[in-house]
Amino acid sequence: MLGIPAATIRNWEERYATIVPERSPGGHRLYSRDQVEQLRFIATEVTRGLSASDAHRLLSDQGEAGRPLARQGSSDRTRLLVLLAERDPAAADLVQFFLRTEGYEVTLALAVDEAEEQWLETRPELAIVELMIDGGVGAELCRRLKQHEANAVIAISALEARDEALAAGADAFLQKPLDPLELISTVKDLAGTSALVGHRTQESR
Amino acid sequence: MDERLTSGDEGLDEILGGGLPVNGINLVIGLPGSGKTMLSEQFVFAGATEERPALYLSTVSEPFEKILRYGQTLSFFDRDAIGRSVYYEDLGDTVAGAGGLSAVTERIALLTKQRRPGIIAIDSFKALAAFAEDAQTFRSFLHDLAALLTAFPVTSFWIGEYSEEEMRTAPEAAVADGIISLEMQRANERAQRLIQVIKLRGSEFRSGRHGYRLSGDGITVFPRLADPLSQEVYGLSEDRISTGIPPLDTMLAQGYGKGSSTLVAGSSGAGKTLMGLHFIFNGVAIGQPGVIATLQENPVQLQRMARGFGWSLDDEGVSVMYRSPNDVYIDEWVYELLDLVEATGATRVLIDSLSDLHYAATDPVRFREFIYSLTQRLSHAGISPIMTSEVPDLFHVGRLAEYGISHLSDNVVLLQYVRLDSRLLRTVTVVKSRASAHDPEIREFGITSDGIVLGDPIGDENVLG
Repeated sequence: MLGIPAATIRNWEERYATIVPERSPGGHRLYSRDQVEQLRFIATEVTRGLSASDAHRLLSDQGEAGRPLARQGSSDRTRLLVLLAERDPAAADLVQFFLRTEGYEVTLALAVDEAEEQWLETRPELAIVELMIDGGVGAELCRRLKQHEANAVIAISALEARDEALAAGADAFLQKPLDPLELISTVKDLAGTSALVGHRTQESR
Repeated sequence: MDERLTSGDEGLDEILGGGLPVNGINLVIGLPGSGKTMLSEQFVFAGATEERPALYLSTVSEPFEKILRYGQTLSFFDRDAIGRSVYYEDLGDTVAGAGGLSAVTERIALLTKQRRPGIIAIDSFKALAAFAEDAQTFRSFLHDLAALLTAFPVTSFWIGEYSEEEMRTAPEAAVADGIISLEMQRANERAQRLIQVIKLRGSEFRSGRHGYRLSGDGITVFPRLADPLSQEVYGLSEDRISTGIPPLDTMLAQGYGKGSSTLVAGSSGAGKTLMGLHFIFNGVAIGQPGVIATLQENPVQLQRMARGFGWSLDDEGVSVMYRSPNDVYIDEWVYELLDLVEATGATRVLIDSLSDLHYAATDPVRFREFIYSLTQRLSHAGISPIMTSEVPDLFHVGRLAEYGISHLSDNVVLLQYVRLDSRLLRTVTVVKSRASAHDPEIREFGITSDGIVLGDPIGDENVLG
């Protein structure tokens, strides 16, 4: 399931007792939709380098904090996709984390061309562009994405570059280091109120 | 972008140019017992909120329990904040575990994501270096951690027992945006704590070493008073104020100038303190409050002396600040005096004596700087200080042991003994009176129940030095 070996899932279940499925009369594990999402979350975190125990702790913390983790909507709703064009892995890691915990799907590009390709391929709802990417051609990427009829582009930079960003077509500018609350509220403003209730309409594809 | 983090201590914020710039990496260095943990905890408790909490991470050399145990004795340590806006976490096991330093970065990254802190303190940071297999591993750890702490809006404190020498080569110093050093200076069997901001990117700060004190209230910094040498002849007012001794007023062209500083130098028992009391109680009698800052006599002795001349320290308008010279720190003392002067609205100040203050100072240059700045500040506010200073010679005063203060004083009055025939006389001479004419004669004076009573001038030919 989810590309995770069954033995690993059983191992996690025994060790952390966080995701415990019901059993069928025949003894088969029956995972709820939420549990599948939880497993997906764990798997994603582990792929990104977190230890399984940290990933489980993170999962529990978020459960306690009442933050939505898994989508609860019907299957025709899917998560909003955000393209992140960022050269700094540490910064990218944080942005991905905060967006994912809010229920967004994130696709990461480390360079401008890669970002443009991904945009055309996946048509995300929103793009976050670091202006210093590829030596400082982020503004050009903003312009190109807008030409590709991007709905919303947020430019980010450690420099105060609001004017430059808005001139290049960005809808918003945030100065780094990004405040998680500010980031999320800006994303929500531009992409719709919530990642969970939002549709990815077929027309935009 | 000029957001600042307060330490809760006015003096510390002042030397940092108005608080610590947010989102920087700050090294707090100093020997054991210098207050590094305390300083960091002070920022932690002053700056933590539930939305942007603080993480206090202990590593191997500072056991978690110990930090907590001593922390709770401090007045700013708010138990209710623990677990709500301040989180103490032990990284000891992570550091010593198989994952090594990269596990430390991961754990800090995870905590950062979970808690979204505004402040992270790592205590001790220096101890982490011992867990790196080689210098390169440590550098790459520094790089990763700095990248994380730069990507997230957080102010961090890296605490370590680095010496100044180590600071020159430690890669941490290059990564840091700010370096705060806590030092100890010894002189005359006395130790003084000194704090210095060595580096603070993107901000002005007060350079040099500043005195500080550690107490149950945390760290209290006394920014060095180093007012620039003023070129202007500060408002040397035309107004004259009485010395309290009418014939002396005559010698000084109607008393001291308002806002001018006066040095009364003389040998032991010559009547310096008495001359100061004349000045203070003359003011009190005409509704000008005065402050007596004494390191010589305790209030009981001083009251006895004042009563002998018909004055009382209980009179309205008199305030006494007594400190034993053995536990005076000049940095702190000057601030206390300025506060008292402000609180009481005093216009006359007696400092008795400079010699005691000099003894208390660990560094003669700092001493002069402080006294100069103090008298400047008072003068600018129209307050007239009178300072006593002891000279070593009983007769024929050859030099004023006033540590370079006399040329900074507006008036210098010398009290000395002279032998005349077989008699020993007390004499007074106005050596200097800035911006006014003065009579340089040597006059005999006596001490009666009315205080100092001036007699006749003494001709040079009669004086046997």
